[in-house]
Amino acid sequence: MADNIVITAAGIVSALGIGYEANLQALRDLRHGLQHPQFLRTIHNDLLIGEVRLSDDALAESLSISLAREPYTRTSLLAITAMKELVQDIDLETLREENVAFINANTVGGMCSVEDMYMEFISDHYDGDFVKYIDTLDCAASTQDVIHYFKIRPFTATLSTACSSSSNAMIVGARMIAQGLVDKAICGGCDAMSRYTVNGFLSLKNVDKQHCKPFDQNRNGLNLGEGAAFVMLEKETAAKARGANILAHFSGYNNSNDAYHPTAPSPDGSGALRAMTQALAKARLQPQDINYINAHGTATLNNDTAEGKAIQQLFGGGVPFSSTKPFTGHTLAAAGAVEALFSMMALRENMILPNLNFETPMEELNITPVRDLITDRRLNHVISNSFGFGGNNVSLIFSKA
Amino acid sequence: MNPVYIISACAISPQNSFESEDFLLEIRSTDTGKLFVQEPDYRPFINPVAIRRMSRLIKMGIGCGMKALQDAGVQTPDAIITGTGLGSMTDTEKFLKDMILLKEEALNPTFFIQSTYNSVNGWISVQTKSTGYSQTYVNRGFSMEMALMDARLFLNEAATPQYVLAGGFDELTEEYHLVKSKVGYWKEELQQSRELLQHNDTAGTIGGEGAAFFVLSNREDNALCQLRGSGMLQNPTAGKVASAILQLLQTYDVDAKAIDLVICGNDGDVRFEHLYTEWGTLLKDDTPFVTFKHLTGEYPTASGFAIWLATRLFSSPKTREQFLHQKGEDTTPRHILIVNHYLLNTVSVTLLSKK
Repeated sequence: MADNIVITAAGIVSALGIGYEANLQALRDLRHGLQHPQFLRTIHNDLLIGEVRLSDDALAESLSISLAREPYTRTSLLAITAMKELVQDIDLETLREENVAFINANTVGGMCSVEDMYMEFISDHYDGDFVKYIDTLDCAASTQDVIHYFKIRPFTATLSTACSSSSNAMIVGARMIAQGLVDKAICGGCDAMSRYTVNGFLSLKNVDKQHCKPFDQNRNGLNLGEGAAFVMLEKETAAKARGANILAHFSGYNNSNDAYHPTAPSPDGSGALRAMTQALAKARLQPQDINYINAHGTATLNNDTAEGKAIQQLFGGGVPFSSTKPFTGHTLAAAGAVEALFSMMALRENMILPNLNFETPMEELNITPVRDLITDRRLNHVISNSFGFGGNNVSLIFSKA
Repeated sequence: MNPVYIISACAISPQNSFESEDFLLEIRSTDTGKLFVQEPDYRPFINPVAIRRMSRLIKMGIGCGMKALQDAGVQTPDAIITGTGLGSMTDTEKFLKDMILLKEEALNPTFFIQSTYNSVNGWISVQTKSTGYSQTYVNRGFSMEMALMDARLFLNEAATPQYVLAGGFDELTEEYHLVKSKVGYWKEELQQSRELLQHNDTAGTIGGEGAAFFVLSNREDNALCQLRGSGMLQNPTAGKVASAILQLLQTYDVDAKAIDLVICGNDGDVRFEHLYTEWGTLLKDDTPFVTFKHLTGEYPTASGFAIWLATRLFSSPKTREQFLHQKGEDTTPRHILIVNHYLLNTVSVTLLSKK
């Protein structure tokens, strides 16, 4: 790319913990963050989910937010928590002055709160605590809450493409910078656990009640998770000029479409293959330049077949791959950004993350995911996949700073 | 940025806008405070098997998008970029209420899938075999504007002729109307919707809905007009709107006095009227102002209707006659400015020019 885009700050909250170090340590220790629901009020309390281990009140308290006064949903609390981690790396004042975009992504807005109050929403009562949550349902509510909390006034956008949402936020941010619309873009996504989402995926019959097993012959569906993650993108020249610490290069990306089915991926993996191939072309890299593939790997029957075939076709057996969703659950709109951070950690720490729970190779594939943490080699380029409903396929490539 | 052209424009609205050039010969008005679209026959545009399970908004989005492609003579767009403030409210409401009432058991996945904001993109890509870029903005009053901005970015990146399908869509439901009445969205005293803007001394507006899709290209051939750009403002003062207009015009080197026509998104809500007051003096004294929310009602992607209307005002003398009530001498506008606000205090300004 003519303009090298780099990542100069990052923030994350997931079931593995709050912040870069906590998440990195959990990955290193092979410690997953799944448990039975502690905070989500659901009848499906036998599910394993990747909840962030703080209640709404605890999250609010750590942010000095009074939930009695302000209607922050869990979605917004997670987004603000991740952003707070990110802004530790930067001077918030410069963010207030500069030409900055905040590109957020989200799948169900403040549904986590709305679903508790909806019968009041549609009752004949016009007064009550519920009223202040009425405008929190849409995806842009968390975007507005973040800029309100940090008292910043960036250009804002919110997008929603299901499970590839925050990967798309990063692509949009990079493109806006490349074309000179903004100097910096803070991009990522957030999603809180909601009964709406849990029951949606249960109705699709692709949730595993046990630990999910990506790329395993006996995989039986996904585990859901929640979280938020953001990265700050800017041009390499600008980052160097201000002496910023460059965490990684955002060296290539692609968003393309399956055009196969509204929810299922093309079974031959042609959509996944297209996204990875075109991302490599954008980064001017060959498949053999990639040292690790952070797969979408939801552990659903369809995804892993399609993605596995695409990885096999493009990389043969030559490049180690894994899904990190057994650590965090599938964090939906946040997944792309969460896994972008994991990919960045892999690059910086020279470690290849293992695919937990893998036992039995898939019949359709002659490749298998990485089982153990690998720390004995240098990583230069990592590719990270996110594939969403609607055939929305995204591959991102990160390179060593 | 390189010039971007609108090749085709299609709107589904409460008025007769889908097929007809004579769309305002008969104005549809209501005294219920809710303007629902006139639904066209979708069968020529949507897979006949799939259509039976589709909800209203999904059909509205796909039908409108497919018609825009047909009008442009484009079979497979290079990108599909949409914006929606609400997505399919019907599906969201159904899945949510079922989940609560059935106590999380025996739920229908169709509602869940269709409540996903990018499901219209997914369907159009399947129907057109479009394997290109696909994006969906869910950004309140800027959803449409962001889709168009992304389309301009996409076309600016392209080295070869490309066609982008870009559009916005939102639906009104009885339940949504009830819920938003609790946060003061709507007027309490109902009048005929056609007289909405004569009642701009009270808070609130009327509910509306619609879809608008455009085929945009970096090629000029058969273009209706040029899409210059949009400015987007969060919680602006009236003065900020004026300076955003000047900045937009300056970017595209258009003199404020050269604006021939302005389309305004006033929705009768007294709380937002001031946003339309401070910049009129920048323009020529006799610049015609056109309003439209008495025809569409208020919804997050209403600016899509305004852009559709602009394309008609550029190209159709008959529409100008209906809209501007100018009989006789017809002058084709060269530059049209759109100023639109949405309820949660966002304002967008958009410039279109004759190619």
